[in-house]
Amino acid sequence: MRVTETWYLTLSALLFTVGFVGLLVRRNPLVMFMSLELMLNAVNISFVAFANKLDDIAGQTAVFFVLVVAAAEVVVGLSIVVAVMRRRPSITADDLRSLKG
Amino acid sequence: MSDFLRQYLLVILFALLAVGVVGAFIGLASLLRPNRPSKGKLENYESGVDPVGSGWSQSQIRYYIFALLFVMFDVEAVFIFPWATRLEEYGYFGLLEMVIFIAILTLGLGYAWRKGVLRWA
Amino acid sequence: MTLAFLAQQTIERIPFDSPTIDWHAFAPEAILLAWTCLVVVVDMVGLERARRFMPGLTGVGFLLATIPVLTLWNDGATRSLFEGAYVVDRYALALKGLFLISGYVVVLLSTQYMADGDYYDSEYYILLASSVLGMTVMASARDLITIFVALELLSIPAYLLAAWRKRDLKSNEAGLKYMLMGIFASAIMLYGMSLLYGVAGDTRLSVIAEKLTSEGTKPLLTLAALFTIIGFAFKVSAVPFHTWAPDTYEGAPTPLTAFLAVASKAAGFVAMVTIITTAFPGQADVVEPFMWVLSALTMSIGNLIAMRQTNIVRMLAYSGVAQAGYIMAPLAVYSQTGQNGVSAASAIVNYLIIYSAMNLGAFAVVIAAARKTRSGEISSFGGMLNYAPGLTTAMTVFLFSLAGIPPMGGWLAKWQVFSVLLQSESTWGTTLALVAAVNTVLAAFYYLNVAKQMWFMPAPDGDTSRVRVPPSLVAALAITVIATLLSGVTGLVPDITDFGSIALGR
Repeated sequence: MRVTETWYLTLSALLFTVGFVGLLVRRNPLVMFMSLELMLNAVNISFVAFANKLDDIAGQTAVFFVLVVAAAEVVVGLSIVVAVMRRRPSITADDLRSLKG
Repeated sequence: MSDFLRQYLLVILFALLAVGVVGAFIGLASLLRPNRPSKGKLENYESGVDPVGSGWSQSQIRYYIFALLFVMFDVEAVFIFPWATRLEEYGYFGLLEMVIFIAILTLGLGYAWRKGVLRWA
Repeated sequence: MTLAFLAQQTIERIPFDSPTIDWHAFAPEAILLAWTCLVVVVDMVGLERARRFMPGLTGVGFLLATIPVLTLWNDGATRSLFEGAYVVDRYALALKGLFLISGYVVVLLSTQYMADGDYYDSEYYILLASSVLGMTVMASARDLITIFVALELLSIPAYLLAAWRKRDLKSNEAGLKYMLMGIFASAIMLYGMSLLYGVAGDTRLSVIAEKLTSEGTKPLLTLAALFTIIGFAFKVSAVPFHTWAPDTYEGAPTPLTAFLAVASKAAGFVAMVTIITTAFPGQADVVEPFMWVLSALTMSIGNLIAMRQTNIVRMLAYSGVAQAGYIMAPLAVYSQTGQNGVSAASAIVNYLIIYSAMNLGAFAVVIAAARKTRSGEISSFGGMLNYAPGLTTAMTVFLFSLAGIPPMGGWLAKWQVFSVLLQSESTWGTTLALVAAVNTVLAAFYYLNVAKQMWFMPAPDGDTSRVRVPPSLVAALAITVIATLLSGVTGLVPDITDFGSIALGR
C-alpha cells in the first residue's frame, strides 16, 4: 500500500479538527494552548504534503516560519498564562469573566 | 523489499542487537542474584520520601524562564542549519544576512543577561 | 522522499544568485528595525536611567522612518523586490505613512500614562516599535509567507502589551483572551493559506491569481479562500468573530487600546484587501457574498450593542466593530467596480486614514478625561463643558466625525464607501448601501449621546476642578483634530488614496 499525499492531508485535516474542537470544549488555558499548537502543526503537515506533491521548496520554507513563529507564540503565551496563574491558581477559562460583554 | 525499507534494515538489526544484549545481561543477572521480595521494595522511589499529594506540584519559576529562553533560541537555529549547508554558494550576501540575524538574536540574549534573567540565585 | 533522493539533492546544487536589493524601497523598514535595536541597546545600557528618554526616542524613530516614505512617494515609481513578493507602490506607502504616524500618536498618548503607573516603560516602547515594524512590512507584503510573518510580528507584541498591567486581573484576562483568539485566527488563516498553496502551487499572490484564474473554481479553493478571510476577520473584529475585542479593549492599558483599535485593525484590513484584490480577482462569486454578509452583520450588530454600553471604552470598542463593517463594505463589490478592485481598495484606505485620526483622537480625550474622573463611565463625562471646554470641543469634533456629520472627515470616508457601493450598479451593492445608511442613522444616537452628556448634563459628583492635560496629550489631540478637520474640508485624503490604474502589485 502506497502512502500518498491524500493520506497526509487527511491526517492534517483530522489533527486540525481535533485542535479546533479541543480549543472550543476544553477550559484550562494550558490545554487550550496545546490545542492551538495541534492546529499549527496540522498546518505544517499540510504544507509539507503539498510541497512534496508539487515538488516545490516554498511549502517547506513556510513550515520553518510557522515553526519559529509558533515557538515565539508559545513563549509569549506561556508568559501570559504564568502571569494569570500566579494571581489565581487553577484557573479555567470560565473563571475569566471579570470582563463580560 | 523496497529501497526505502532496505535502508532501515541496518537500524532494525541494531535495535534487535541492543535488545538482545540488554536482555541477555538482565536474564543472566536474574539467574545469579538472590531473590527476596518485600512490600517496601514495591513502593515508588521518591528520594526516600513517601509519595504523597497530587501529580501537579509547583516548581521553581526560575526553571520556567530558562525553559522559555531555551525554546526561543533553540528554534531559531532551524534557520541556521539550511543556511550552513549552502554557505559557499550564498557568498557575502548570505554571510551578511546571517550576521544580521545572529546579531539580533545576540541582542536578545544580551538583553536577557542585562535584565538579570540569567542569574540563578 | 528517500534518503538516496536527499543525498542526490545535496550533490545537484542549484546555483544561487544574490537578489539585488533596492535599499531605497526597503529604507523605512530598515530604519525602523535599526532604530528599534538602538532603543534596546539604550535600555540595556541605561536600565532605570533610560526610562524617561524612551518615549521621545521611539517617537523620533517613527518620524525618521517616515522620511524615506515621503521620498519614495515623491519618486512615485512602483518597486518590486524579491520576485514580486514585496512591492512598494503608492498603496503600500500611504499605509506605511499611516502606520508610522499612528505609532507616533500612540507614543504621545502613552507617554504620561506609562510614566504615571508602575510599568515597564522601556519594553513597552520597544514592543510598540516592533509591532509597527510588522505593520509596515504588511503594507508591502505580496506573498503568503511574508504576510504571515508580518501578521505575527505585529500581533505577538500586541498580546504582551494587552496584558501589560501585570498585577491587574482585568489586564491579564485581556491579554490571555486576545492571545488565544489571535493564535486561533492565525491557525485558521494558515490552514487556508496551506490549501491555497496546494491549489495554486506558489506563495506569491500574483502567481496565485494567474493559476486560480486559469484553473477555475474548485471546492478546495472555496474552502481555502474562506479560511484565509476568516483569519483576517478575527483581526479586524468582524461579527461573528468580534467577541474578543470589547473585553481586550477594556482590560488593556487605554493607549494600547487606541493602538489595537486603530493600527492593528488597519493592518488586518490591509492584509485582507491585498489578498482579496490581488489573489482572488477571479473568485468574486465566492468572496463577494461572504464579505457582504460579514459587512452587514458587523455594522448592524456592532451598532446595536454599542447603543447599550455605559462604559466609554466598551462603547468605542463596539463602535470600532461597527466601523469595521463600513470599511469592509467595498470588498462586497470589489470586482464590479473600477480597475479590478483598485477603487474599492482606495475607498478602504481612505476610510482607514480618516478613521485612524478620529478614533485616536477620541481615545486621547478619554485618556485625558480619565486622569481626573478615574472612571470609564459615559456619565462621568457630564458637565465637561464647564471645566474642560477644550477637551469637550475636541471630543465633539471626533464624535461628529465618527457619526459621519459633515464637514468632519468621517463624512468623506463614508461618502467614498457609499459611492463605490452604488458605482457597482448591482442589487448587492445597493442593498448594502441601504443597510449602511440605516446603520449610520442608528450610530448617530450613541455618538451624540456622549456629546449631550458633555455639553448639557451636570458633572455627576459636582467636582468642577480643571483637568490638567500633559503636553504630550495636547500634541496628540492637536494632530488628530487637525487631521480630522482637514480631511473633511479638503480633498487631501482622497488625493492620497487615488491609486489610479496602478493595480496592487500586479
